[in-house]
Amino acid sequence: MSKTVIEVKDLFKVYEGPVPVKAVNGISLTIKEGEFTALKGPSGCGKTTLLNMLGGLDYPTSGSILVGGNDITSLGENELIDFRLRNIGFVFQAYNLIPVLSATENVSFIMLLQNRPKEEREDRARQLLQSVGLTGKEDKRPGELSGGQQQRVAVARALASKPQFVLADEPTANLDSESTANLLDIMLKLNKEEGMTFVFATHDDRVINRARRVVAISDGKVVSDLSK
Amino acid sequence: MIFKIAWRNIWRSKIRSLVVLTSIALGIWAGLLIIGFSFGMNNERTSSAIGSTLGHSQVHSLSFLEEPTSAAVIGSAAEVQAIEELLQEAVFVKGVSTRAIMMGMVSAPKSARGARMIAVDPDSERANSTLPETIVEGDFFESKTRNSVIIGQKLADKLGLGLRKKVVLTFQDAEGNISRASFRITGIYKTLNATWDELNLYIKRSDLAHIIGQDLVHEIMVRYDETEGTEEKTAKLSAALPEGAAILSWKRNSPELGYADDMMGIMLVLVLGIIMMALLFGIINNMLMAILERRRELGMLMAVGMNKRKLFIMILVETLMLGFVAGPVGILLGDLSTRVMMGIGIDLTSKKEGLANLGVQSIIYPEIVPEYYLIVAVMVIMTALLAALYPAYKALKLNPVQAIRGE
Repeated sequence: MSKTVIEVKDLFKVYEGPVPVKAVNGISLTIKEGEFTALKGPSGCGKTTLLNMLGGLDYPTSGSILVGGNDITSLGENELIDFRLRNIGFVFQAYNLIPVLSATENVSFIMLLQNRPKEEREDRARQLLQSVGLTGKEDKRPGELSGGQQQRVAVARALASKPQFVLADEPTANLDSESTANLLDIMLKLNKEEGMTFVFATHDDRVINRARRVVAISDGKVVSDLSK
Repeated sequence: MIFKIAWRNIWRSKIRSLVVLTSIALGIWAGLLIIGFSFGMNNERTSSAIGSTLGHSQVHSLSFLEEPTSAAVIGSAAEVQAIEELLQEAVFVKGVSTRAIMMGMVSAPKSARGARMIAVDPDSERANSTLPETIVEGDFFESKTRNSVIIGQKLADKLGLGLRKKVVLTFQDAEGNISRASFRITGIYKTLNATWDELNLYIKRSDLAHIIGQDLVHEIMVRYDETEGTEEKTAKLSAALPEGAAILSWKRNSPELGYADDMMGIMLVLVLGIIMMALLFGIINNMLMAILERRRELGMLMAVGMNKRKLFIMILVETLMLGFVAGPVGILLGDLSTRVMMGIGIDLTSKKEGLANLGVQSIIYPEIVPEYYLIVAVMVIMTALLAALYPAYKALKLNPVQAIRGE
């Protein structure tokens, strides 16, 4: 049986204001190693808030998030930064690459933050770019790459730190069908071959259709959880 | 890689970076030029005063320092000679010159004025001061004519006098008797200091001795091998002097010159400080803009695990790099233009009158002052460090989730 990577228990996130908004309203969820999970739902359903909390970018109002058995909601801000660096790979909707660095440098930068030796950084960056199909584009800067190619660099970057899992927030929102299919092929391959756990927040059917587990969220609650 | 990112980030917005780099370079350039100009002006004034009138130090009797009366002589002729010999024993003493100094009055046919009469030994002055070089009309006691006087151009103008005109000098001898004698103007001098020229006139010590029947010495001017280390050299000589005599350096003999010399350093650091202050705000503005533009990227870096210390260092390095690029350019520009100006001088003839009252020539030749390059370099680095603080603080305060969305 696969190991549990993330275990969410009774998670609430309430945004205080004149009318308090329960963005996440009592979610409990377990993600196992090697899963390829999509959190689906319309805009404002709470999937991005949930993803941010899974990624240690935001604190819940109550509840716990156990990653590898450790509750990350009890970590301080600096510990959380270090936790993110060592355990989580991020893929963002707007790619968010560093425009002044080449593809290789963007990928190896994360490993620099982890104080890995130069040789290892360069080897792994090259290898990862190759696995996302960007051989020959290593020295290109983001501005010289297409949206799909940039997102593939972002996937390589997410994997560079050897994370426990990768969180992707609407990774295909800015991509055309071909690039989306291509990106998903690559992610599925990495999932299958390397056993990398992926969690998406998306309302893109192209992603949902290829996910092996789909968790539907509505009004901050899990309304269905289907594994294919 | 942080250096690489910082360097490339500077060139992301080329025009904005060039504007801030240019302003830093120009600020440094202007600062160095002001420094060169101020030192040139001050050193010229000081060396002119040392050369023509003050010497590096002067020996007086203690009573003369209290009240410069005719009676306050250094000592008898033998005592004075003993002091002269003692002074000349020091290797750094290049020459001494004895003078009698008396306050009195100079009367011309049309008017009269108070004056300070300095009775000198012409040969000794020729050897030890630049006074003879300041003669603009006539000569410096070349003729054997008795009772000849050299007056400053400003005094000559005030009294309506010219060469070969007669004046009557009135003064007190050591016993307090009033003496009066007629003198003929054989030379007119002009130093850089018009105030000095208006007050002081020169006669021969032999003439004075003849008139009052005494050879008085109130002052021994001492010339060193170089101005550097004047205070230490003066202190050495001071220890050897007999009781009742005191030696003071030019700075203490002419407090206004010494003060100007001491104040200049402080003033220049202040001027540089003001320039740096202006640059500080320019750099802060530039960096704040850069951070505002890159908040998505900074948000991403924080999200993926760049800790606050590294983020702070990245912004610090980027800001410092602005200083490291523009600083050398500014210093080089400042150095080159000072060197060019050293050759041609800065012509302030239109302000001649005012400058002459300050003891400054109307064409000023700036000087290179290498130690200020270091001061400027340190100030630029400090400014960049200070300028980095607020933008870095703003960056650290970003919320990664909001920053990634560009909010």
